[in-house]
Amino acid sequence: MSASLSKGRLRGLATGWGYHLSRLTGPLALLGPAGLWLLLFLVLPTLLILDISLVPGLRPEDVDSAYGLGNYSKLFNPFDPAFDPVYLQVIWRSVYYATVSTLACLVLGFPVAYWLAIMAPRRWRNFLVVAFVLPLWTSSLLRSYAWMSILRPTGLLNSFIAWLSSFIPGVELPTQSWLYTSTAVFVGLTYNFLPYMVLILYASLEKLDISLLEAAADLGATPRQVFWKVTVPQTLPGIAAGCLLVFITSMGDFVVPTLLGGASSMTISRLIYNQFLGITRNWGLGSALSMVLIMAVSLAIALLLKYGDRDSVKEA
Amino acid sequence: MPKLSFPNTWQGWLTIALFGFMYGPIVVLGIYSFNDSRRYTSVWQGFSLRWYESLFQDARIFRALQDTLFVAIVAVAISSVSGTLMAIGLCKYYFPGKGVYRGVSYLPLIIPDISIAVATLVFLASMAIPLSIWTIIAAHMVFCLAYIAVIVSSRLGSLDPNLEEAALDLGATPTQALIKVLLPQLMPAIVAGCLLAFVLSVDDLLISSFTAGGGANPLPLEIFSRIRNGVKPDMNALSVLLILASGMIAALAEYLRYKGSTMER
Amino acid sequence: MPRQRALYLPRAYRLGPTRRRFLQGSAAAIAGVTLANCRQNIAQQAAPEAEAESTGSTTEGGNGGGSGVLHVYTWADYTNDEMVNAFTEKTGIEVIVDIYDSNETMLAKMQAGGGDAYSIIYPSDYMVQQMIELNMLTKLEPARISGLDNIFDKWQDPVYDPGNTFSVPFAWGTTGLLYNTDVISDAPEDWDYLWDNSSALSKQMTLLDDVRETMGMVLKSLGYSYNSTDPAEIEEAYERLVEIKPDLASFMSFGFEDGLLSGDLAVVMAYSVDALSSIAEDDRLNYVIPSSGSSVWTDTLVIPTTAPNADAAYEWINFNLDPAIAQLNTETLFNATPNKVAYENLSAEFKNDEKLFPPEELLAKCEGIAPVGDAASVYDEFWTRVTSA
Repeated sequence: MSASLSKGRLRGLATGWGYHLSRLTGPLALLGPAGLWLLLFLVLPTLLILDISLVPGLRPEDVDSAYGLGNYSKLFNPFDPAFDPVYLQVIWRSVYYATVSTLACLVLGFPVAYWLAIMAPRRWRNFLVVAFVLPLWTSSLLRSYAWMSILRPTGLLNSFIAWLSSFIPGVELPTQSWLYTSTAVFVGLTYNFLPYMVLILYASLEKLDISLLEAAADLGATPRQVFWKVTVPQTLPGIAAGCLLVFITSMGDFVVPTLLGGASSMTISRLIYNQFLGITRNWGLGSALSMVLIMAVSLAIALLLKYGDRDSVKEA
Repeated sequence: MPKLSFPNTWQGWLTIALFGFMYGPIVVLGIYSFNDSRRYTSVWQGFSLRWYESLFQDARIFRALQDTLFVAIVAVAISSVSGTLMAIGLCKYYFPGKGVYRGVSYLPLIIPDISIAVATLVFLASMAIPLSIWTIIAAHMVFCLAYIAVIVSSRLGSLDPNLEEAALDLGATPTQALIKVLLPQLMPAIVAGCLLAFVLSVDDLLISSFTAGGGANPLPLEIFSRIRNGVKPDMNALSVLLILASGMIAALAEYLRYKGSTMER
Repeated sequence: MPRQRALYLPRAYRLGPTRRRFLQGSAAAIAGVTLANCRQNIAQQAAPEAEAESTGSTTEGGNGGGSGVLHVYTWADYTNDEMVNAFTEKTGIEVIVDIYDSNETMLAKMQAGGGDAYSIIYPSDYMVQQMIELNMLTKLEPARISGLDNIFDKWQDPVYDPGNTFSVPFAWGTTGLLYNTDVISDAPEDWDYLWDNSSALSKQMTLLDDVRETMGMVLKSLGYSYNSTDPAEIEEAYERLVEIKPDLASFMSFGFEDGLLSGDLAVVMAYSVDALSSIAEDDRLNYVIPSSGSSVWTDTLVIPTTAPNADAAYEWINFNLDPAIAQLNTETLFNATPNKVAYENLSAEFKNDEKLFPPEELLAKCEGIAPVGDAASVYDEFWTRVTSA
């Protein structure tokens, strides 16, 4: 990742503009087009969102509306009469979904990454990692759709459970009705982001020096001690990077909560969507929510940069 | 070559289980795409290719596919050039504000899709630019640029600077050195980046739904609306085909990236 | 990393403090001016200033609608390939159909600038009123429309659009409960059924994902009007809706047929159009209009001000006003038609279908949804609370 804002110390120049320009054509040709595009379609729009978020309750047809912190106040200020706790609820729910999924990914992903990095035969490692991560690049929309048909009350999972029950005489295994509940959202989010976690943890574990583990074992540590006192501390940056990345992406996820969640699974992404392309048409509030999301993500990234493992992030 | 023998550690078993978990739903989609049943029940009613047939006769899907491919190809084509140039430029030059520039170029990878989508919509509305397939392309170019730049940058870091220096010493102009020496070395990374950006563009839902207009209807939008409004099993057939296609492209990208990085060893 | 050589390094300069500040200041000024203008542009797009006389665009060469493409933005079940092909055969205009699932979504898209390709849209009655106020519809030229006198008197001068100046009625219907007779033994008769059986049918019910329909339904079940503007009444409806929410599977306007048929869902709130077409496919399903009254809606054809191909749009309107087509509409798509002549030509089976053409006494208890002015934000607040909590 980039260094902090560096004002490069370079030698001064005293001659005229022509010289400047001819010097600039190189970098300008290389950096110009992309830079201009990013400026126009990323930086400027984000500034615009900031601007609109400062107009309370702006609807697309409003022309003259005053600036004010009304949108943010509505979200966060309990003393504002327009305050509605439901927005905090939605934000909290997004954080909750993201946290549970992250933990699930970590708990499931670490053994997998460990096996792939340390226990799997060396020649196969790269192939296995790629194979595990491959579903990540297929459409999350379609994979969530697959889960819809598996998790429905008359879907595949219940049929499977019923089939298992048929082997155990007299016992009826409980069937699930997870679709349209939070559980389905957890399953969907974990499923979608497990490969991310495995990839990042793998990158971190791959660099682990096995001789350290062996040395610890030789010195009399039990496998558990070796794990907690040697492996984990060494891979902590990778763990941090993986967790934060999964957390960030699952907090902003739209497809899984929309398709797999039910009436009580509104997340921040869908709430923002509703403000612009849905019923409410409150562009001011939607922009404010969008800024909140960007702030939260930036905070997480700042933490990531401070504590995370840079190479793992690059790998991702 | 050591054989991939059956693991007898609990981590190994868990890995196998999770491989199953990862590929299970995809396999399920595949199996049901061959199920001869009007409604998607769990009852197998015979093997049939009718959903694939029905899919191939669906004009809307083909139009949607056309739109999606058009957007992806144009966006990736333009981004590959500008993104690569950007990566090279960032690598070579120091200038005031380079940190900011680099940070901005990473932003599309970090900011959640919904925020980018919303920002782009508001920007287009405020410039009174009507939405059309070109606005989708414009929006997609943003993240395509970023991904290609990141992948090419990481490759640039491991290149041998001597080759380029040698070319310059032999009298090449900077542009010639760029084209004839640097670019071929970067080619695997550029192609890998392009393939990745292509897959991401084809699968994008949020940004497309916010920037589509003028009758443009990318495939993910069409699929999403069908899933919400009642779906026929030809969706399964479509899913299988799409997953296979994007899986192959992603595998190709990984292979190229791997081959590129091993070339240097 | 390619080594940085002096040859490439621009020997850059340090910006003096004053120059830097000047650049920063002017950038901010430009940004400020641009941003101020931006909001005006957004507003202009969302609610364009009314033009004196909208004549709509004309195609090149004045060929009067014999060519081109017509983009139609409509509900999920309002056209099928048969009708579209018939239209293309008759007029030579190609039709591309895009779908939305609620009036508000359609409005949002149009206001966001994404609706510039559509020459025909299908807003419901109350949405027509709203769009007229926002100056988004073109006045229809009566001379170019043929067949308006085929419409029942009831729709000749409707409340939502006096004199049919901007819209043409296309179909009407009701909202009610669609249920699976295999799963439910006692047929529902009124909205209260949902509350009475909420625990028995937990997670097997859905309601429409439409703020006015669903909130209106709850208001009706409490004895109030669908179009109540009293915040206290709306709040009461909100409370009642919250009671039943834990037992709802989801808020769904479409796409519940598979759930109903497989038994995942027992009873859903549905539009008559979808209900009747599902029943036609599988007669285990049944549809009932609750006895305390429901909403009766009219969907219309309108031409937005941004329509690129108004000529083709008029062709499409005339095509749909044709009694033969209107009849086909009812028979294949189960839209109750407002077309007098078409109605006469329907078979007795259709005319007597009470689900399709409810009896007058029941219709008298039903209400049409109307705009509620400022109370709309009250509805929206409570709806957001219900769907987000």
